[in-house]
Amino acid sequence: MAVVAPPRPAAERREARLELAWRGRPGLLGWLTTTDHKRIGLLYFWTTLVFFGAGGVEALLMRTQLERPNNDVVSPSTYDQLFSMHGITMIFFFIIPMTTGAFGNYLLPLMIGARDMAFPRMNALSFWIFLASGIFIYISLFMGMAPDAGWFDYVPLASRAYSPGSNIDFYCLGIIFNGIASTLTAGQFIVTIFTSRAPGMSLNRMPLFCFAFLAASFGLLFALPVLTVDTVFLFLDRNIGTHFFDVAHGGSAVLWQHLFWFFGHPEVYILIVPAFGIATEIIPAFTQRRMQAFPLVAIAELLVVFIGFGVWAHHMFAVGMPTVTMVFFAAASAMVVIPSTIQVFAWCWTMVIGGGRFRTPLLFIVGFVFMFVTGGLTGIMFVAIPFDQQVTDTYFIVAHFHYIIFGAAVFPIFGGMYYWFPKVTGKLYFELPGQISFWTIFVGTNLLFFPMHIVGLLGMPRRQYTYPDGLGWGAYNLAETIGGFLTAAGIVLLLGNLLVSWFRGEEAGPDPWHGPTLEWSTGSPPPEYNFAVIPKVSSAYANWDHEDREEDRRRLEQGVLVLDEGNRQVAVTPVDGHLSEIVDMPHGSPWPILLALALSLVFTMLVIERYGAAAIMGVLCLLALVGWHSHEPAEETA
Amino acid sequence: MDVAARPALPRRNGPTAALLGMAVLVASEATLFAAMIGTYYYLRFETAVWPPRGVPEPKWVVPVILVAVLVCSSVPMELGSRAAQQGRLAAARSFFLVALVLQAGYFAYEVHDFADQLRETPIDRNAYTSVYYTLLGADHAHVFVGILFVVWLLGKLAFGLTPYRVNAARVITWYWHFVNLLTIVVLATLLSARA
Amino acid sequence: MRAGPCAAAATAVLLLAGCGGSQNALAPKSHQAADIASLFWWMMGAAWIGLAVVVALLVVAWKRRARGAAAGGHDSKAGERAGWYVVVGAGIALPIAVIAALFVISDIFVIRTTQAPAASATRLTVQVVGHQWWWEIRYPGTRAVTANELHIPVRTPVRVDVQTADVIHSFWVPALNRKVDAIPGRTNAIELEADAVGSYRGQCAEFCGLQHAHMAMEVIADPPARFRAWLAGQERPAQPPATAGARRGADLFTSGACQSCHTIRGTSAAGTTGPDLTHVATRRTLAANTIPNDPPHLRSWITDSQEVKPGNDMPNLDLSDAQLDALVTYLDNLR
Ligand code: HEA
Ligand code: HEA
Ligand code: HEC
Ligand code: CUA
Ligand SMILES: [Cu+2]
Repeated sequence: MAVVAPPRPAAERREARLELAWRGRPGLLGWLTTTDHKRIGLLYFWTTLVFFGAGGVEALLMRTQLERPNNDVVSPSTYDQLFSMHGITMIFFFIIPMTTGAFGNYLLPLMIGARDMAFPRMNALSFWIFLASGIFIYISLFMGMAPDAGWFDYVPLASRAYSPGSNIDFYCLGIIFNGIASTLTAGQFIVTIFTSRAPGMSLNRMPLFCFAFLAASFGLLFALPVLTVDTVFLFLDRNIGTHFFDVAHGGSAVLWQHLFWFFGHPEVYILIVPAFGIATEIIPAFTQRRMQAFPLVAIAELLVVFIGFGVWAHHMFAVGMPTVTMVFFAAASAMVVIPSTIQVFAWCWTMVIGGGRFRTPLLFIVGFVFMFVTGGLTGIMFVAIPFDQQVTDTYFIVAHFHYIIFGAAVFPIFGGMYYWFPKVTGKLYFELPGQISFWTIFVGTNLLFFPMHIVGLLGMPRRQYTYPDGLGWGAYNLAETIGGFLTAAGIVLLLGNLLVSWFRGEEAGPDPWHGPTLEWSTGSPPPEYNFAVIPKVSSAYANWDHEDREEDRRRLEQGVLVLDEGNRQVAVTPVDGHLSEIVDMPHGSPWPILLALALSLVFTMLVIERYGAAAIMGVLCLLALVGWHSHEPAEETA
Repeated sequence: MDVAARPALPRRNGPTAALLGMAVLVASEATLFAAMIGTYYYLRFETAVWPPRGVPEPKWVVPVILVAVLVCSSVPMELGSRAAQQGRLAAARSFFLVALVLQAGYFAYEVHDFADQLRETPIDRNAYTSVYYTLLGADHAHVFVGILFVVWLLGKLAFGLTPYRVNAARVITWYWHFVNLLTIVVLATLLSARA
Repeated sequence: MRAGPCAAAATAVLLLAGCGGSQNALAPKSHQAADIASLFWWMMGAAWIGLAVVVALLVVAWKRRARGAAAGGHDSKAGERAGWYVVVGAGIALPIAVIAALFVISDIFVIRTTQAPAASATRLTVQVVGHQWWWEIRYPGTRAVTANELHIPVRTPVRVDVQTADVIHSFWVPALNRKVDAIPGRTNAIELEADAVGSYRGQCAEFCGLQHAHMAMEVIADPPARFRAWLAGQERPAQPPATAGARRGADLFTSGACQSCHTIRGTSAAGTTGPDLTHVATRRTLAANTIPNDPPHLRSWITDSQEVKPGNDMPNLDLSDAQLDALVTYLDNLR
């Protein structure tokens, strides 16, 4: 019906009311009890950055030790803890929480036009648990009792008989603890993506970034429980005398490897898929072209994780499995390549026809493509079983996965830091230092990781705290060490640049890049309520549909879907995104951090083998949960 | 009845976030048990005699009956959840109470039996006992969690019915259907040692 | 486009430059290692081409920079159809072809040549048992037991049965063949067949604890005659001490701590924690290729093995100089 549009002030009045409804508590308390996905994202960001620093320092220590033959900067046992903690930190406490926790939390709701995650308090809970688990495992390092059997922690080396200390207990509990956080995040994303999209955003109109995070979340959801089971078994073997992995009593040492890698391989795709997502945002933004072959790319993102569940035994080609088994898994590993190649050429072609602006974020994506292809190609070489059996457990492997992890998972993270910096801070970063930081990191990482291929082929096994003279490894290792410090310098420059820009950078405005997706349609930094109106969406590149954005402004004035009474947001149907209901969102709660606290007490009691006390702390957790649910938001109006 | 609550709104035509959330939880729990059952068979095929000598075959009569009882609790749960959605508070309460009695009875016996078995064949005998007790114990743990859920739910219902509690009832009922299915699968796995 | 091949050549040079050591997978000394090496060179060539293709695309993109970038260009459909061809052609068809070829060649043909021979299919079988952190080596059917030094007749296929006494190790002699793990409760096998007389360095490749870095070994390929002589020598019990000093050493060894861990066949020493020392003096190195085997090093090893190889299972033993001299003369005569 013909409603006479009320005068302009109406819009401001509505925004003011939203402001009021969504404003978080001020000060520290506000941060401790926040449920705002943006704040949680930032908390994740800073925390994971610190862990990245830790993992990096561990790496540099290793590099210093390996810089020349028969070096003795660190003792053997220290070195073992260093590479174990390095691997654990980088994978469980840096990449996963940085991509899902920081980027996902901050950006996903903005991209799907939501005002928060589906379960804001659970979101907070997962952060506090993550933080606690990180502190938990790092305490072990400072007590000199850090895990020291590598990140895949093979038994029997990790069993009581050969590792009497608490090192491995910290490993088991730390991994389980951290797994809870990741599982919560994964479930969180799945539900949010399926229920909280803006009406009109059917799945085929969802940004590729969100597909990537959906894939990663499903991966986590189905991979982590297997790791949990594995580590629980190990903990029981070590502490109550079960025999899962003990050959003498009918157990099997290879069982550990199967369970670990059933998690471990999907894990590596979980690490990279969000990076794909970031690439599929940055490339369109700087080429001003939609991703080419969009549907194929979307499918590929999901497929890579799916197939990734069928290839785990390619990490075990040397344990002496029957040839048929090995050939099967080799074939699967060959198949997993296809989704990747699809995406590589889709990215490249979009850049070719787009004729983009090569600013720092896009530079990092170019570097990413280069590194990913290099690392991927060595990955394919492992499909050749005899060759894999020759180089497995050598530095050739270390080279493969650093190219693909640092080059392909971390480069996009760096690119993303630059790309979304204006959105998060409202400031522009400085371009020249940005480009310098890229080239330093690019040269550094290649100098760091390329020679590893060669020493690997020259017969250098991984995980040795030192190596003898006269095998021709020295020069390459020196080069790697230099590359390592160059990389570090580049990273420090990058972080420094962003830090300075934060205070000195010029105003960015809401949309400096003319970005493709919804986060660019709101303020920088976005208001606490994200969008004044739930946006209208009719394509995957919503911010480029100008008429829809016009429509949003009209709606704001007419008060359509503004939902400015209380903290409310829409819920939609999972697939075609029809408006389903209006829900009230919880807003700020002390329970998540309290529950996380109680939970960390449980794990502390477990690691010092006070099982009774652990049970009591468990009761505390229950009480916290009851308290959590004592307040009933009028949400979920059934 | 959300029409009654909010006439302005279209009736919901999708699942609630809570229900999806439970689906996700169930999915990851299912994977957890899949991994343990996988382990069970992996170890079985690594071992010549199963169960190894000196370890009694798992008893079956009583467990099967008990599990049957437990599975029956799905019916009152479902009825309770339906009643709640129709706003029939008293009915809902009594259905959930019935379910709780069945579940608690099952749990009480099983815990007691678990302790007995542990006494005659300790868990640290060999790989078989390890996986046997771990799998069974994990299942019991899930039953226990379910019981806590129902207790909490009844506590809530004692103070009347709200849309939030209706939703909770539905979600918890779902959880119980899953746990019952799980218990059947676990029992079947453990009894396969007799075959 | 030309970037690929010449870069490949560059790395090739780098690699050859590195061929100093005797643990080089790209300096094969057996047909198995040779097959794997050439497999690698082919794959690397192909990989450089694949990389070159992608780099070429990136270069083109850079050359066309700041063209369509004007805001609003995003609605143009230009190049989309071609995009589908590229993605489907280069992103699906090409890789399938390439990988299928790779798969067939490597996992159906090459894999055969590196396969382990069936039990007792070869004239000689050697048993290798990994310990933290040294290799025990036995010649089934004979009494010969030694450590960290595997002798084989040249140009003769030899089956190696690999086992472990504790944790997982991995038996690897790059110049001769791929590696195989030593898994508790299992026996894995691999074939060694050296084309040339010589010694080839091998090293434990699976992380096995503190001294994983010092768990190496030598494979020594001898002409059959010399090999048989060596084996006969190893079978014999230790020769009794000749000199007075040696005799004192022998008494010390058999009465003192040593015998609790070491065996010397022909004496009362029958420990099994450490390597069999019956013919220790015939070995080129000590402690799994950590130090050369000569009196001074032997001496330093006995007094402070924990400094030489921190964390290894042999304790430092404080002995008087006289006792040391005796022990060393004794052990040094165990040929
Ligand atoms: C981000 C993480 C990541 C990713 C994405 C990958 C990707 C791949 N990985 Fe890797 N991998 C690891 C992380 C990763 N890996 C880690 C951490 C380890 C070691 C764990 C440990 O031991 O500690 C490992 C180890 C590892 C092994 C075990 C090696 C061993 O220990 O013996 C194998 C074996 O098959 C393997 C294979 C592959 C394959 C086939 C891919 C493929 O997905 C690659 C596909 C990509 C491409 C192919 C690039 C695109 C190429 C083009 C577009 C050019 C054209 C291509 C053709 C014509 C073919 N990886
Ligand atoms: C995400 C994964 C990831 C990343 C990014 C890296 C990054 C690096 N890694 Fe690696 N690495 C692994 C995952 C990763 N690694 C894994 C899984 C293993 C196997 C472990 C095992 O065998 O069990 C491994 C093993 C491994 C080894 C083999 C050890 C061995 O086998 O003996 C080596 C050796 O050189 C190494 C080196 C490096 C180096 C020099 C970097 C550098 O690129 C690091 C550069 C980064 C920094 C220098 C940090 C700079 C950051 C800051 C300064 C932030 C400051 C903080 C604030 C401002 C708050 N890594
Ligand atoms: C507690 C056990 C123990 C005792 C006691 C012991 N050793 Fe050892 N010994 C070992 C172990 C284990 C090794 C292998 C170390 C390694 O290479 O990691 C070893 C290695 C050696 C080697 C090198 C063998 C080789 O071929 O590499 C010699 C020689 C040796 N011991 C001599 C002695 C002498 C002499 C004594 C007594 C004075 C002695 N050991 C006492 C355990 C012991
Ligand atoms: Cu033995 Cu490494
Ligand atoms: Cu893998």
